Amino acid sequence: MSRSGWFPFLIGIGLGLAGGLYYAWIISPVEYTDTAPDSLRAEFRADYLALIASAYAGTDDLVRARARLALFSDLEPRTELAALAQQRLAGGFGEVEAAALARLAAALANQPRSPVSTPTGGPATTSTPIPSPLPSSTPRPTPTAGAPFTLASQEQVCNPLLSAPLIQVEVSDAAESGVPGIEIIVVWDTGEDHFFTGLKPELGQGYADFTMTEGVSYTLRLADSGQLVTDLSTHPCEQADGTPYLGSWLIQFHQTP
Amino acid sequence: MLATHLPRLILGALLGGFLALIYGWLIRPVEYVDTTPDALRIDFRTDYVLMVAESFSADQELDLAQFRLAALGPLAPDEYATDAIDYALEQSFSRTDLEHLNQLAIALRALPQPGEIQAP
Repeated sequence: MSRSGWFPFLIGIGLGLAGGLYYAWIISPVEYTDTAPDSLRAEFRADYLALIASAYAGTDDLVRARARLALFSDLEPRTELAALAQQRLAGGFGEVEAAALARLAAALANQPRSPVSTPTGGPATTSTPIPSPLPSSTPRPTPTAGAPFTLASQEQVCNPLLSAPLIQVEVSDAAESGVPGIEIIVVWDTGEDHFFTGLKPELGQGYADFTMTEGVSYTLRLADSGQLVTDLSTHPCEQADGTPYLGSWLIQFHQTP
Repeated sequence: MLATHLPRLILGALLGGFLALIYGWLIRPVEYVDTTPDALRIDFRTDYVLMVAESFSADQELDLAQFRLAALGPLAPDEYATDAIDYALEQSFSRTDLEHLNQLAIALRALPQPGEIQAP
């Protein structure tokens, strides 16, 4: 192509770029919708944390508060909440909010250290939380915007073939296909664990499970969902010969179209 | 003259548009940072309203509850509570959660609506 032949081509590229950017920035600019709390601007993030603390002051449900705090991937709750309490007090936000933040920070400080994440190897194996120093903040996948996964069903399961009581989670998309790689957060009064779907493909791409301990109440949520599934604990079951054993839960999430 | 160069111009424009999309979608895609609560997805927004309701159940500070709900957008606060109840019912939230949301909605609806004249 001659030099004069390149000229209109380059003009065209320039026009195309200008047109594309005009469309992207002026005609159809980005609208922020369907976001997650983790992406909130700093002052709204502080408000959100204060709200978590205020809600905890109303319910005394530490497990639920910790499940909500787990939405923030880079949060060090104990220190950040205490610092925020001081800031709110100094900023004249009211003593009630500062007191709620301080109370939640203190409650978290009195908790045992978070356990290491231990994905289970199969339905018959157990996942025993191992106490360890508090992990430093770890980069996690950015929350994906899109249709949320909602709770489709939650049922008690009596299956004598399971050697331990499990929280079994199945996550499927709008086409009813199992979705691998979905992070699940389970919180109980003394610990927290994160596990993922798809680690046991023989049981389905959208399957994951967690072994429960008798007498412990668990709260579960998908990392990218605001919906909490509360009060999950073992329940009594009986084999055909009358032998008692501990039952499991099956929690199914489905992506709304 | 124009007829000679027009195909190249169009080809260049298409390539330019294609490059703009590659840049916008792959090289520098949208990152959701510095957002505001009014952009929260419905499940997170419902949990936000639930937290306001749980807090209200303890402190009975309706002004504070209204202030917090105002962060969700321009609608009247009781509409956010109603939306949250609808979603909570749809998703089978616990009875306690529904009671908290309901108490908040009742308290918000009892407030004088804008333009409403209160009896002396």
